[in-house]
Formats: sequence, C-alpha cells, structure tokens
Amino acid sequence: MSTPLLDIKDYSLDIGTFDGPVHVLKGINLTVNRGDTLGIVGESGSGKTVLVRSVMGIGPKGSEVTQGQITFDGQDITRLTEKAWGNIRGIRISMIFQDPMTYLNPLFTIGQQISDVIAAHQRASGEGVASKSARRARTVELLDQVGMRDPDQLFDQYPHQLSGGMRQRVLIAMALAGKPELLIADEPTTALDVTVQAQVLDLIKSLVEKLNLTVVMISHDIGAIATIATRCAVMYKGEIVEQGATADILGNPQHAYTKQLLAAVPDIEAEPKRVAAAAAEPKTEKPVKLLEAHDLTKIYKSQSGEPFTAVDKVNLSVAKGEIFGVVGESGSGKSTLARMLLRLIEPTSGDIIFDGQNISGLNGEPLRQMRRHMQFVFQNPHSALNGRHTIGDAIGEPLRIQTNMSKRDIEARVEALLDIVQLPRMFKYRYPHELSGGQKQRVCIARAIALNPRLLILDEPTSALDISVQAQVLEFLQQVRAELDLTYVFISHDLAVIRQICDQTIVMKRGQIVEQGDTEKIFLSPAEDYTRALIESGRKTSRAANIGATG
Amino acid sequence: MLTFTLRKLLTVAGTMLGIAVLTFVITNIAPGDPARLVAGPNATEDMVATIRTEYGLDRPMIEQFAIYMKDLVTGDFGTSIVSTRPVLDELLRYAPATIELVLVAMLLGIFVGVPLGMLSAVYKDGPIDHFTRILSISGVAIPAFWFGILMQLYFSVDLGWLPVSGRLPLVTRPPEFITGSLLIDSLLAGNFKTFNTALSYIILPAIVLSFPCLASILRVNRAEMIEVLQSDYIVAARAHGISSRRIVICYALKNALLPTLAMIGLRFGWMLGSTVLVETVFDWPGIGLYAVSSALASDFKPVIGVTLLIGFLFIITNTLVDLAYAWIDPRLRRA
Amino acid sequence: MSNIEQTATRPLSFRERNASQIRQMRLYAHMFRGSFSSMLGLTLVVVFLILAAIGPYIVPYPEDTRGAVHMAARLLPPSAEHWFGTDEMGADIFSRVIAGARTSLWIGIVITGLGALIGVPLGIIAGYKGGLLRACIMRVTELFLAVPGLALALAIVASLGPGLTNCMIALAIVWWPGYVRLVEAKTLSVKEELFVESARSIGAKTPWILWHHILPNCMSPIIVKMSMDMGMAILAAAGLGFIGLGAPPPAPEWGAMVSVARSYMPDWWWYSFFPGAAIFLTVLGFNLLGDGLRDILDPRSRTR
Repeated sequence: MSTPLLDIKDYSLDIGTFDGPVHVLKGINLTVNRGDTLGIVGESGSGKTVLVRSVMGIGPKGSEVTQGQITFDGQDITRLTEKAWGNIRGIRISMIFQDPMTYLNPLFTIGQQISDVIAAHQRASGEGVASKSARRARTVELLDQVGMRDPDQLFDQYPHQLSGGMRQRVLIAMALAGKPELLIADEPTTALDVTVQAQVLDLIKSLVEKLNLTVVMISHDIGAIATIATRCAVMYKGEIVEQGATADILGNPQHAYTKQLLAAVPDIEAEPKRVAAAAAEPKTEKPVKLLEAHDLTKIYKSQSGEPFTAVDKVNLSVAKGEIFGVVGESGSGKSTLARMLLRLIEPTSGDIIFDGQNISGLNGEPLRQMRRHMQFVFQNPHSALNGRHTIGDAIGEPLRIQTNMSKRDIEARVEALLDIVQLPRMFKYRYPHELSGGQKQRVCIARAIALNPRLLILDEPTSALDISVQAQVLEFLQQVRAELDLTYVFISHDLAVIRQICDQTIVMKRGQIVEQGDTEKIFLSPAEDYTRALIESGRKTSRAANIGATG
Repeated sequence: MLTFTLRKLLTVAGTMLGIAVLTFVITNIAPGDPARLVAGPNATEDMVATIRTEYGLDRPMIEQFAIYMKDLVTGDFGTSIVSTRPVLDELLRYAPATIELVLVAMLLGIFVGVPLGMLSAVYKDGPIDHFTRILSISGVAIPAFWFGILMQLYFSVDLGWLPVSGRLPLVTRPPEFITGSLLIDSLLAGNFKTFNTALSYIILPAIVLSFPCLASILRVNRAEMIEVLQSDYIVAARAHGISSRRIVICYALKNALLPTLAMIGLRFGWMLGSTVLVETVFDWPGIGLYAVSSALASDFKPVIGVTLLIGFLFIITNTLVDLAYAWIDPRLRRA
Repeated sequence: MSNIEQTATRPLSFRERNASQIRQMRLYAHMFRGSFSSMLGLTLVVVFLILAAIGPYIVPYPEDTRGAVHMAARLLPPSAEHWFGTDEMGADIFSRVIAGARTSLWIGIVITGLGALIGVPLGIIAGYKGGLLRACIMRVTELFLAVPGLALALAIVASLGPGLTNCMIALAIVWWPGYVRLVEAKTLSVKEELFVESARSIGAKTPWILWHHILPNCMSPIIVKMSMDMGMAILAAAGLGFIGLGAPPPAPEWGAMVSVARSYMPDWWWYSFFPGAAIFLTVLGFNLLGDGLRDILDPRSRTR
C-alpha cells in the first residue's frame, strides 16, 4: 500500500515536427494508488491521450521524453525496451479505446480476438496456454460480464455485425481479459450515442465496483468523469492545471481554465435567458410561416434491396424569426430531414413549402435561385471547407456563383463578412488546415450568410467542437441571428444546447417525430419515454458540471 | 456464398462477351479493305472479290458480327494463314507452355515478394528495407526484354549454367502429355532427369517474367504492412499484450494480404501480356511467341485468338482473386 | 494575433499574402530533398529532358542518327571515339542512344497526355454523376482493363500495321482506362466530402463543382500517376519496338535498337546493352520521381 501503483513525476514530452519540437506534455505529476479511480479532463489537444499512451508505452512516433519519469508499481517504465513491455502492457496495464469501430480487427471473429488476448496473458504469466475450449468458456464468461446478451453466439461473429455500443463492450471485455492491475479508459464513450453512452458508463462503473479495479479514465465529457472517477485532474495545453477530489474540483474550481470549462457546459436545468428576451418582443400579429414540410418521406434502398425508411412522413412548420430545434440520436433521420428541407437530398414523397412557395418540384435554375435564401451550416467544419481553397475563396464562392459582383466588390464583401464573424481580415489568405475548429466553423457561417439568406439550417454545428468553443459559437450564432434577422433550424443531439436556444423543438426517433412542441414544455413535462431517456442522459453531464451551482 | 459465386460467373460471361465485341472492333478499325490485305499485293480484282464473298466481308457489319460470334461460340477461331491450320488447335498446343511459365513466375513472385515485403515493413529503414527498395524500384523499371538478354549473357554465355533459350533440347523426348506442363508431367511420369532439364530451361524466363511482378507484390505488401501495423486495431492488440511476432504473422499479414491479393491478380494479367516479350527473348514456344510471329507476318486471326485467350485467362484469375477476397474478408461474404 | 489585426489596414505584400503557400512549398522541397531516391529520380529525369531537348545538336555523329552507313566501322567495341561502340551499319551507338531520347519523350508525352485527356474527364463524370452514365463508362473501362495492356496493344498494332504512330495510338487506347479508374475512385471519395455538398447548397452548378472542388482534390494522384506513366509508356513502347512493331530500323528508337542488337549477341554485347540501359534509367527516373511526388503530395495512397 505504501508504493503507489502509478507514479508520474515531472514528466515532459516533445514531438518533433517540421516547425521544430512541440512541447506536448509539460511537467506532469500524477499519482494513482491501488483502488483509485482517476479522471483526466481536457479538450482536444490538451495532451491527455499522449499522456495515457505513454503510460502504455505506445506513445506517438518521433516523441522524446525530455525530463521526468513514469513509475509503475515501483518499476521505472519511462524507457522500457519492447521486450520488457511484454510483461506489463496488456498484462498488468490494460486499455479501453475510444472508437470501437477501428480498434477491432475486421477480419477476425470476436471470440478469436478475445481468446487470443487470454492466451497471451496465460503465456506471459507462465501458467501455460489453456485449451481452446477453456479459453472459449472464459471468453463467453467475459462477454457475459460486460452485459452482452447471447455471448455464446457472439463468439463467432465479426465486428462489422455488431453495433457501436456492443463493440465497445467487446473492447471492455478484452481489456478485462487478463485481470489487469491498472485499467486505462481513453474516451470510452465519445464515439457512442447519448443513450448508449449512459449504458456503457454504468457498465464501467459497476465493473469498477465489482472487480475493485484501478482506473485512469480520460474524457472531455465532465459528466462521464463525474460518474466514474473519485479523483480528477484537469489538463490544459499539456499541463495539469488542477487536481483533487472530483466533487471538490467540480464544486469549487480554483484554476481559471477549470472555471471557464465548467461554465461552458450548457445547463439542461437552467431556464434559458432567451425566454425573457422573447417575451419582451411584441407578439402582435400571428407568426408568419417561413418553412413548412408536409408528409416528408425518404426511403433508401439498402444494398440487399430492402427499402429503409430514413424519414417517415414528417410534418413541421417553422415560423419566421424563430429557432426551431430538431433532436435525435444518430440514425434518427435528422440529418436526412435537414438535407431534404434544402433539397440537397431528393425526398421520396412529400412537400416542402418555403415562404408560401412549394419548392419540392423546383429544378435547375429556379432551384438554384431559391438556394440564395436558405443556407446550410454543416456539422464538421474540418470537412466542409475545401482544403485547396483559401478562406477568402471559400467565403467569396457563393457571391461568385450567385451574383455578378465584380472581383473588387467580392473582396470587400469577404472582408466585411470576416468582420461579422469576428475573424481577422488577413485570414482570407489562409488555408483551412491552418485554422482551429472554432475558427473554421465561423468561416462556414460567414459563407452561409454571404448571400443574406433568410433561413439557416444548422446541422449539429457545434458537435465537432470542444465545449468551451461550442459555448462561444452558440453565443455568436444567436448574435448573428439578431443582427441579420435570420430563422434557424437547429439540429442537435445535445438537449442542453437545444433548451438553451430553441423556441420550438421536435424529437425524432427512427425517422419519425415522437414529440413536438414548445421547447420548455418538452423539457418540463416530456410526454414520451424516449424523450425522458434523452433528457436523463443529458442531465448526467449537466449535473456533474453544475455540482457547485446546485449544491 | 453460392449466389456470390453465381453472380461472379455471370460477370465472367458478360466480360467475355465484351472482349469478343472489343476484338471484333479491333479487327475492323484498320483503314483499307481487309479482303485486299488477305489477298496480298499481287491479287487481281476477281480474287479480291472472291475472298470478299468467301470471308463474308460484303455483308452488313451486324451480320458479320453475328457470324463472328457464332464462330467463337462454336470454337472456330479461324485459320492461320501462315500454317494453314485452325487457330484453336495451335492455341491449345501453345497455351500449356505459357501457362506453365506464368504460373512458375507467379509462384516465384508471391513466395519471394510477400515475405520480403513483410520483412522490410517490420525492419523498416533497416538494411533489408534498403535492399528491397532497390529491388522493387528497379524491378518495375527494367525492360523485360533487356533484362532477359542480360541474364542470358551472364548465366548462359558467361557462366554456362543454364540453357540460353527454348523449352527442352531437341534430343530430350518430352514426357507423355497429361497436363501440358513439362514439370508436372515429367514428375508424374517419374522422370526426374527430364524434370531437371525442364527446370533448367524455365528458370531464366520465369525469373525475368516474375521480376516486375515480384517487385510490385513486395512493394504493396510492404506499404500495406506498414499501414496496418500503425492501425488502431494493431495498436489495440499490442496494448492487450499480444506478442509482436503473433501480431505480425497472424494479424497484420492477413489484413495486408487483401491489397496484395489485388496486386497479384493485376500482375497476373500483366505477366500474360509480357509473355510476348519474354517468350520472344527466350524462344519459349508459347502463345506470346505465336502472337508475335503471327503479327509480324500480318497473320491476323491468331493474334485475335491469343488476345481472346489471354483475356479469358485474366478474367478467370480475377474471379478467383475476388473469391479469395470474400474468403478472407467477412464483410464481403454476405450474398 | 493582435498585431495582425492592427496592421490589417495596410495592403499586404505578396510574401505575406502567400505565406501559406510559401510555407507549403518549402515543406515539400524539404521533404523532397530529404529523400535520396526522389533526388536521384529528379536528376535522371532532368538529364533525360535536357538530352531530349538539345541531344541532336550535341551528338558527336549527327548523321548516324539518321541511318548513315560506315561499312569500315562496323560493330566496333566501345572506345574513346565511339563511347558506346558502333552497330552493324557502323553508326555510333552513343549518338543514336542520345537521339532516341527525343523519340521516347515524344512517345511518353503523347501516350500519357492522351490517356489523361480521355480518362480524367470520363472518370470525374462517372464518379460524380453515378447512375446509368457511370455504369456505361465503367463497363467499357473494365472491358479494356480485362485484357492485359500489352496484349491488347499488340492486337491493335497488328490490325493497324506496324509503325511508331500506330504504336502510340494503340498504347493510348489501352492507357486511358487506368485514369478513369483512378479518377473515378478518387471522385467517389471526394464527392462524399462536406464541401461538395456545401457548394451544392449555395447553388453551384455541376461544372463549377467539378472544376473547382472535385478536380483540384483529384490532382495529386493524377500528377503522381502521370509521372509514373511517362516511364511506363516509354517502357511499353520500347517493348513493341523490340517485337518489331515500332519505328522501322533507321529511326533511333531504343526498343528497336535492342531488337536488332539481339541477333548480334553475345559477341557484340554493347550493342544491346546501352540502348537497354537508356530505357532502364529513363523509366527508373520517372518512377522514382513519381514515387517521391507521391510521398509528399498524396502520402496516404502510397500502396497504389
């Protein structure tokens, strides 16, 4: 009990690049005792993944430890040889990975992969490899332990036959195969749907208690950390800025960054400020319908030829000037719906009416003209900008396509738009890869508003961004709306965000609307179980971040 | 799996049909009167006219095509002008030599290329890697005919180790015809002396033919191995304590084998094409040499026959590769 | 960042405006210079291009490149006078090899150029449009790819009759499908990128999208393939020349030279050695250059 299981002392690490070395980790100090559960919170680029991978000896290529050391159970593992790692990696320290899609070998069955791990452990511990059937029994037991139904049948299945949540459970089973002393979990829920996230977190929590595991978990999701970890460290730009008991840190953050991070988490419980503002507006005449959809349906043909209904007879109507929320998990058809509203995807049947005109039959030039008035902001700003065009080209493109403004006028307009989205004018000469995620999303917004549209459809505009950036972008979106008199259709899986900004909301599940109405009403008295489940899982994150505020 | 195979067979039939159309188009792209070409420069107008009717060249294109297709289906590839024998007979006579040569070269390419690629990926930037890099780059760039001549100069003329050209010396009686492959037939007959002789004759052309193929298999396998070894699931396997040797030999090789397999299929076709060069250099009595000598003699039917046969062999290989793909990759297995 | 905003009113210099590109170019140059094989490839290609440009003016025996006969100087071994020896007509092989560079360059440019010119638009259209059009284009492409290139080219040349022009036509006919397949695959993946959808959502027409979004993102693999294909086309044409279907004898074509030289083997080894070595070094140069370009332009598709 006297020596800690994992002791990281003054650990610094550089990664060499063309522009010189980058200091990825700076003087990290961390101690994990047996039975501890430590959470490391940080946004992308904070170095948390590099840190835990260094503990496993699978750090990035071209990296160099400049000072400090990592000690595992009294043994210095900072610069172990591959051979020496053999007895530690995967045997005494094990890891759960982030994206279950890519971390399972697609060409081998689940059973094969897990029993291979079991065999490796038995070989390493010197007890001799058990028979095939014994390993199979142990594999089935492990799969059962991680809450898989029908583990016996699962043994012979391939990864592509499983859902994301199931794959993550398989990865957890693999990590537990050798009864590791230290379990590292690298964003174990990030790639999963909200409701599945909650299940996987519950599973990890119950396993930690049942098996008395020592866990280091990293995540950008404060809710996840709060569920699992009793202690917690906050990482920012390669440094640990704060560490201590999770409750203390969340309840009484000391460092400015932690405070900012916690404040940025949207609060699902809070009554939105917006309501007051909306009430102040005179609600005299009845709201004008800007966008309506009648019985909108999209049926895809799957490869095997069976029809798959992505969106099923959706009716909605968006009033001018409001923010209309669409909530749903992945596969609920919300992105398809959004694209159909803009006719980026052809609806199978149904009508779209924009400003009194039925646009579902438009084609060619009239459709092109119509696109001036409605614009789309995409989920992933990293891919929504063409890497071969400068920012100036990207923002100016709609002007070049839709208007016959002169080159100089376009230049001027681009600069004005950069001003509106609060980016320096000289960014117009830059390329997308030189910008951060938040900056890129601002560029996308500038591009979308270049033609003075009346409707913006925002497809998860913040979900690819870090929490603190998300808060900025959301605030900025609301500002722009007020300035330019825009109507938003806002799509998200994050209920807290929806509650913060949307007037009307629809909840989608498997292509259908399960609930719709006034946002506040949905949150205060959800009528459907599905909505309740969504709100509940949203609460987990929110509550954790607001421990200080609520008690 | 069955429907998958059936669908593949249907594709094969379709592609064969397409190739038949393609060859028909090729025969008809030549400017000028084909009848006059056949008749030769000294023919009278009457002779040309006779030939035109005899070959059906005066009929409409569609009808000519129908006749062409009917002949193909019934196995009539026309008659060689030089030897005045049916092209099909000659193809069947020459094909075994080419297939034997290509298969030996292919095996050489696979069994040298894959392990070398694996080794150079595992010991990336080591001495083996540098050696294989030179091998792989020069292998693709070297002209096969020139390489063949150099090999003959060194191994046959200078060292006198191996015969210069041909398939068997005139004095050796070939083994009884069973498969058409001298190596297999002589083994089946238990005649090891003939086997050794046949082997000594095939070594040089097989090496020359397989060199570019070996180089590209090596290259693809190396690149794929390197990529697979950096992939997430290999990182995960390492993190779960699975030994490096098992990761390389069992896990990564299987994943890297898929693109390598595609390359093997591609290179097989390429080798079939290259036989026209290699067989010319080594006087190897196969369809490549047959096509070249016929082309030089303006004897057109055999060239088309060889093209069809090579296309057919290539399609069969590609289908086999596709089936192997589905066998390795479970994601492709559903029908 | 703050000082950038302060100076934003001042018009920027060229260097400042293009800082991003300049840095990118410097990075490329740095990576290229760091690789021995890339530099070797570049050197070989540059030497080849120079010889092709000025070769005929610097060769020691210009008349030999056009088929002059010196019966007294037949089949001499390499010497100070005739660096690569002489052939059966007494012509200087060194002069003929150098003169062959121009023929080869011409062959390479025509075949790759035609191949890309036909293949790239078809590939982009097939990949972007999909549906029946794609099915048609790809079926025809696959048909051409189903017969090994050299065999098909042989059949075409046999039908057209021998000669350098017919060789090039035949090789161009078998060459374009490779571009269709490459570009189609690349287009299919680029098409899925959000920026293409984004361009559609602002009302861009299909030609605009193809030209401004799809093509620039397909450029790297095309450049790499064209560089490689320069070499491979020269190699294939030399093969046809070797068979005897290429340029007729007096023309200084490397493949044909090896072909004639073959009958003077093994005693007059230099006759076949030097033209063959010229083919090898040229093809090697273009391959190495293409490989180096791929490493810096298109690092992910290194396998193809």
